[in-house]
Amino acid sequence: MTLLISARAVSKRFRQPRRFPGFLGALKSLVTAEYTEVEAVRDVSFDIAEGEAVGYLGPNGAGKSTMIKMMTGILVPSAGELSVLGRTPHQHRMANARDIGVVFGQRSQLWWDLPVRDSFDLHRRIYDIPAARYADNLAQFSELLDLTSFLDRAVRQLSLGQRMRAEMVMALLHDPKVLFLDEPTIGLDVVAKDAVRKFLAKINRERGVTIILTTHDLQDIESICPRLIMVDQAKLIFDGALKDLRASMGTRRRLTLEFATDPGRLELETARLSSDEGLLKHYQIEREDVSLVDVLAEVGRDRALKDIVLEEPNIEEVIRTFYQGRNAAAVSA
Amino acid sequence: MSAYFAFAKSAVMTQLAYRNEVWANMFGKVVQVFARVAIWLAIYAGATSIDGISLQQMITYALLGGIVTGAIRYETIISMIGRALQTGDVAVWLLKPVSFPLYIITSELGRAAYRLVVLVIPTVAAVALVYGMLPPASLFYGAMFLAYLALAYAIIALISTLFGLVSFWLLTSFSLEWLMQALLNLLSGQFIPFWFFPKTFGDIAAHLPFAWIVYYPAAVWLGRMEQTETLIYFGIGCGWALLLGLGVAWLWRRASTRVIVQGG
Amino acid sequence: MLRQLRLIPILLQMNLRAQMEYRGAFLIDRIAMIITYASSLAVIWLLVARLDTLADWNWGELALLYSFHTLGYAIGASFSFTQMRDLEEQVRLGTFDALLTRPMSPWVYLVFARFNIGYVSHISLALVVMTWALLTIPIDWSIGWVAYFLASLLSAALVTGSIMTLLGAAALAWTRSNHLYSLYFGFWELSRYPLNLFPSVIQGILLTVVPLGFMAAVPVAVLVGKPVPLLGELAPIAALLAGPALLGLTALFWRYATSRYQGAGG
Repeated sequence: MTLLISARAVSKRFRQPRRFPGFLGALKSLVTAEYTEVEAVRDVSFDIAEGEAVGYLGPNGAGKSTMIKMMTGILVPSAGELSVLGRTPHQHRMANARDIGVVFGQRSQLWWDLPVRDSFDLHRRIYDIPAARYADNLAQFSELLDLTSFLDRAVRQLSLGQRMRAEMVMALLHDPKVLFLDEPTIGLDVVAKDAVRKFLAKINRERGVTIILTTHDLQDIESICPRLIMVDQAKLIFDGALKDLRASMGTRRRLTLEFATDPGRLELETARLSSDEGLLKHYQIEREDVSLVDVLAEVGRDRALKDIVLEEPNIEEVIRTFYQGRNAAAVSA
Repeated sequence: MSAYFAFAKSAVMTQLAYRNEVWANMFGKVVQVFARVAIWLAIYAGATSIDGISLQQMITYALLGGIVTGAIRYETIISMIGRALQTGDVAVWLLKPVSFPLYIITSELGRAAYRLVVLVIPTVAAVALVYGMLPPASLFYGAMFLAYLALAYAIIALISTLFGLVSFWLLTSFSLEWLMQALLNLLSGQFIPFWFFPKTFGDIAAHLPFAWIVYYPAAVWLGRMEQTETLIYFGIGCGWALLLGLGVAWLWRRASTRVIVQGG
Repeated sequence: MLRQLRLIPILLQMNLRAQMEYRGAFLIDRIAMIITYASSLAVIWLLVARLDTLADWNWGELALLYSFHTLGYAIGASFSFTQMRDLEEQVRLGTFDALLTRPMSPWVYLVFARFNIGYVSHISLALVVMTWALLTIPIDWSIGWVAYFLASLLSAALVTGSIMTLLGAAALAWTRSNHLYSLYFGFWELSRYPLNLFPSVIQGILLTVVPLGFMAAVPVAVLVGKPVPLLGELAPIAALLAGPALLGLTALFWRYATSRYQGAGG
């Protein structure tokens, strides 16, 4: 697979003027000028191959948007090397722009007072899309995301979900090789989120469009991106497959056993008893090599077991545990 | 009551947060006041008095005009009210135990007070040092000037609020900001004192509320009216303020009702 | 580059259609503008009615000065003012970034997608007043005179457009710059009057640091045969060159500001 995006020790620093607190501080700021340096991205390296779908995750201020801005040519890195499609983005802004699509979650690029179609048409002209290709893409995407009902309506009359769907289509009309999305599902209702996720996954699988997505919504990652890059406080803390993250955190599956009659405090070897509520007992299966069958074998046949519920850890838990583990390590280090 | 004071204070704090703005504004103001005075100096070139007004009096008049109009930005009041009404944001205010128009007015007066102290008075003082400014004609006129100044601020705030509310029905506050400018240009006396106006025009202008914005405060400082006259005209000015206040209350009632009914 | 020019008519068209969605308000705004500019002119008229001349300029000449100033300003500002003034907010909200991710010049998109046709009010009023003034003042009509008139008007428009764009670029480079507009408009008021009305310090400023003297005061003085303070014989050529010179400076600064924006992050 060809390497589409390559980042080597990329860093980005900003200078911000200092604000002093309080009324006197405000007066002070009238006459002095002090700056603090803020590091938004520190020493981040990764490679993204063609056709990948990567989630870029992290708390607010972790440097997600900054990284996307550097990859799309908006910002220049303070240090390190960044290459997108074989070019340095900010040095070849126009050429880079032709091959990428960008969707900003909260900032629309559609013309507010005009029909959606008009914004699309302008897009066609700006990117020099051949007429046949444009018609083809428009027809396909409109069908996939159900745009035909409002293609001719003014953007200001659309719901947020409709607008986001239109944005997404517009970003793909020119067949970009890479699609960057900055918080695309923010503020959308459940139905719209689902439509967007399915669409992106489909585009990635069927058309091979490389997708890079920043998000707070872990469900986005689950549905679209098999690979996950996590950043925290400007640094890269995880880069790998989502399932590896799960695995590295231990499976810690939750098992709930429901009994017809209380067999008393039932401690097991194959699973740890986390809470005993009489008829309902909650266990955590902490070892990977232990299966449900093993646990049930240990429980035995004559305990009047009525029902079993087995839960995989969800992505929120996985990530939260990961952060906690890191912070704990940081504290103890 | 304290809520409104808090609004004013927070407006001032926001202003202070932007250092370059403050310096640029001050510089801009200095230029403008300087220029006004320069224009009159050129007009007077040589003559000691025109229509019985001396150069010194004219310079003082120009500087006083700067004190009133330099501090308050009426267009902010109009646009803020206009925008809140158009977008329906005002609905949020209808839920609070504070009056929206009063909030807007006190915020802008807060900013105006700040600008007055930090920008306008230093500027006027600086230019006054260069060109000379006459003191008030007497203690009485000095005190009355302060009263007229407060009245001027009240009237300008009320008129702009009125315009802001009207913009709700016109669907444009932009046009009203500019119309207010036009009315101030011609009728407030800020560029030309009424004593230079053609007779009929001057008579009409002298009785419209705009005249209390620049002309009367300045005329009072210069002692151009008899003491009784000064008090009477203050009363008339207060009458205008009252009328405007009633107009604002009435329009606000109608506008907010419509917002509630239409949902903004 | 030339390919970009083909996008301009489309942007203008879309912009016009978008603005016409608010036809009623648009019309009212235009009328209000005309009334206000007329009121400023009326103030000058009131002064002249009382004083006969202002710095040796009679009413006809002052009307020409006013209308020339307004026309040059309106033409230049339609390509710059509202677009550049809103740039500060675009930077703050991050919507300017979208312009950098497209294969087109951010300046072209910014200027023409938000082209301000509201200046039609200024232009209409200015043309009416200008026509009247030109018929009133004794003018030595010749090809040369007319050519100079048009050329210096273009230069004046360039002066306006360039300065506005410089201020907008400052928003890119230094984030907050809208306060500079209040400085600009302070001097803008002064530039509506003959230069010899002011003390030499102000004259100097209006001819150098804040070259708004070239918006009207200098070229119109040349056109009606009045002496220009400080510049004297150089006035005619200075008025013609001011616009293009500023344009060059602005192009360079815009390039610098964009690269600073990308370095500093906005």
